[in-house]
Amino acid sequence: MKRPLLIAALSGVAATMSPGQGPGSFGGPPAASQPAQAAQPGTTAQTAPAGNSGGGGGESATPKQQGSFLGGDAPMFDPGTEIFTWDGHNWHVTDNRLFQARFEKYLAAPEETTADDKAYQQIIARVLDDLAPGNATGPHIDEAFRLLARASAYDIDARLCDSIGDAVYSAWRSQDNQGRLTTADNALEQERTATEWNAKIAASGLQLDQAPASKDKAAAAAWQQDENQKRDMEMQQYTVRLAEIMTTIKANQAKKELSELDSKIDFQALLVQLFLQRRFQHVLIGTRFYRAVFTDGDTALKVGKEANDLFANSTGMPPTVGTMDSMANEVLRDVREGVQAFEYLLSQNELESASKRLAESFTVGEYLPEIRTLPRVEKRKALQFEKQSDQLLSALEVKDYTLAEKLVTALSTTATDFDTSKATAAIETAKQISAFHLAKARNAAVSGDKATLEAELTAATEIWPRNPALTKAADLIFDQGDVQEKALVDLDQLMSQRNYRAIYDDKMRFIAAVAMYPDRQDQLKKVIDQMATVDTSMIQAQEIAKQGDYAGAWEVVEKTFQKFPDDSKLNELRANLTTEAADFVRTLRTAQDLEQKDEVGSSLAWYLKAQKLYPNSDFAQDGIHRLAKRVLPESS
Amino acid sequence: MPRRASSRTHPVRLAVALLAVAGALGGGAYLWTTLSDPYRTLAPIDIPTYLSDANSLRGNVYKLTGTIDSQLAWSPTAGRLYSVVADGGKTDVLPVLIPPQFDHVNVQKDQRFTFKLEVGDKGVLTASDMRKI
Repeated sequence: MKRPLLIAALSGVAATMSPGQGPGSFGGPPAASQPAQAAQPGTTAQTAPAGNSGGGGGESATPKQQGSFLGGDAPMFDPGTEIFTWDGHNWHVTDNRLFQARFEKYLAAPEETTADDKAYQQIIARVLDDLAPGNATGPHIDEAFRLLARASAYDIDARLCDSIGDAVYSAWRSQDNQGRLTTADNALEQERTATEWNAKIAASGLQLDQAPASKDKAAAAAWQQDENQKRDMEMQQYTVRLAEIMTTIKANQAKKELSELDSKIDFQALLVQLFLQRRFQHVLIGTRFYRAVFTDGDTALKVGKEANDLFANSTGMPPTVGTMDSMANEVLRDVREGVQAFEYLLSQNELESASKRLAESFTVGEYLPEIRTLPRVEKRKALQFEKQSDQLLSALEVKDYTLAEKLVTALSTTATDFDTSKATAAIETAKQISAFHLAKARNAAVSGDKATLEAELTAATEIWPRNPALTKAADLIFDQGDVQEKALVDLDQLMSQRNYRAIYDDKMRFIAAVAMYPDRQDQLKKVIDQMATVDTSMIQAQEIAKQGDYAGAWEVVEKTFQKFPDDSKLNELRANLTTEAADFVRTLRTAQDLEQKDEVGSSLAWYLKAQKLYPNSDFAQDGIHRLAKRVLPESS
Repeated sequence: MPRRASSRTHPVRLAVALLAVAGALGGGAYLWTTLSDPYRTLAPIDIPTYLSDANSLRGNVYKLTGTIDSQLAWSPTAGRLYSVVADGGKTDVLPVLIPPQFDHVNVQKDQRFTFKLEVGDKGVLTASDMRKI
């Protein structure tokens, strides 16, 4: 299972990659969040963006892999983590923006079951049938070649059948050239033989001059030199021609070999390209044509080292056309299984697994009929699940846990296999931590610790920005702040007015307000104690008055009044009691007035009179004692 | 038989006699009272005036008859200060300073005295003489 997925992932990436765009341009900067160690087979352990919801986030691997195609490693896919590694970067196969966009477009598209679509698939099936092993005779090959032109007329084909046809035609032309070169070689060989024969004849018919006398050695040497020159001149034309013929023969042999190799490489390059484009039906057509065209049995891929390594490392065998053929067949089978699994899981309302299986199958066989003909009604269910899943990821990413919770509920209802544990754990954790910070913020607000209040509110906001409780708590705290500020202003104002009664009547508000101001606490405590004394004396006076002792009640009030003359309630009661005990009060006040005038005798007489009116009068007693002391300073 | 003269007293005469006896007794009592008051030449103190403006009476001598109410203060050198309820009003209580020369006079609550008083500095009433009655 791993092998076709590897190929599929590789081809999926290649197909979605625009011209000139390197793998590094897929993901941009590496995702820094939530790294997870994923040991990739055949590679060193690399950091993979597991669970990366950002979409399309590729991640750089070790520095030594930078800047080289494939990064020194073959592309690998780990089905355990669904992480694809290529050229030093990691992708989650189904979790990147390009794939998501392409997949969603597919899910929203109608099924391709029109007459044209069916006709196209019928043509492709006939081509494959004509080229199938055992059927690939001359007439069938010719018919298949003819059908390529018809198939390429359909949009879905993207004129790939034309490309295959061109490759086949080029190969056939190449084979024609090889025939002509063979004929030329034969002619040249005949020419070479004739030239050699002519040279032999020329050499055998050469007439030599008579040699000089043997005693004259110098003359003999000169004669020999002249004879050699004469023979070389005679043979030169045949030697040159023979060399020319041999050179031409060698050149033609090289041309023949190169022509065949070129056509094979062109064809193989097309097959690799189709494979990378995930056009596996076209791969099968191409490989079968290849075998029909090149009958020498040499099917080894003669593509570049990188492409060669791609297949060699993924299959573990030397790459051949047959390897591609078998891999394409395996992909077709795998996609069929994936689609069947999708349909079954969908019928069981297991939308999460169904969506994953469809995404995997789509990644591999985007252009295969099993994928293209899937009913839109079924795809829509997967699309809705995908959208809600994406919404959930977005909600979790922006920390909108209210929406996330709703989505988790909805997803768990519609998809029975949806795993709520991670999302629920994240939501609940965030809620608890946020609540914890809010509680600390409230405590800080109560204790007047503004720094902690701000810090805790900030922390709660960062964890769950749209927490409804956060808004309520903040409003409450800030309202409290406003109330507190207003209470402090009121307190200051009432203090300046010496309106202690109003402060006392609203003492709970002021106690709360001055909680964080020790100086004001002391002031307020004095006021409250004072007013408590006033209230106590008023209650006492009222009780005494109930017994008819108005003078006594008045005295109680008067004593308090002298300490706290500004209290309105006390004044009111004092006025009432003054009326009730008018004689006594008048007598006592006369005494006090005269005492003020230093008329000791008269004042003392009045105090005595007041005491007669109210024998328990403290004021009278005090006045008498005070004045007696003035009359008799030495008295004890 | 000749009629005997009646021995019964005439009622008119009897009434006149009783009136005469009563007048004699009243006059005697008046004389007794008047002649027995040693300060009969002194004016009683004008309590309302004293209470309103004692300074206006400063230096004057009056007499006061009243009942001892309580001792307000005592000084071995300056005397004793009493509150005296003046006759005629239960709430007219005047302070009277009894100097040391009257220390031999026992003064107790509810005893009635007639004082010869001098209105002194700051309206203080000082007894210059006193008689228990």
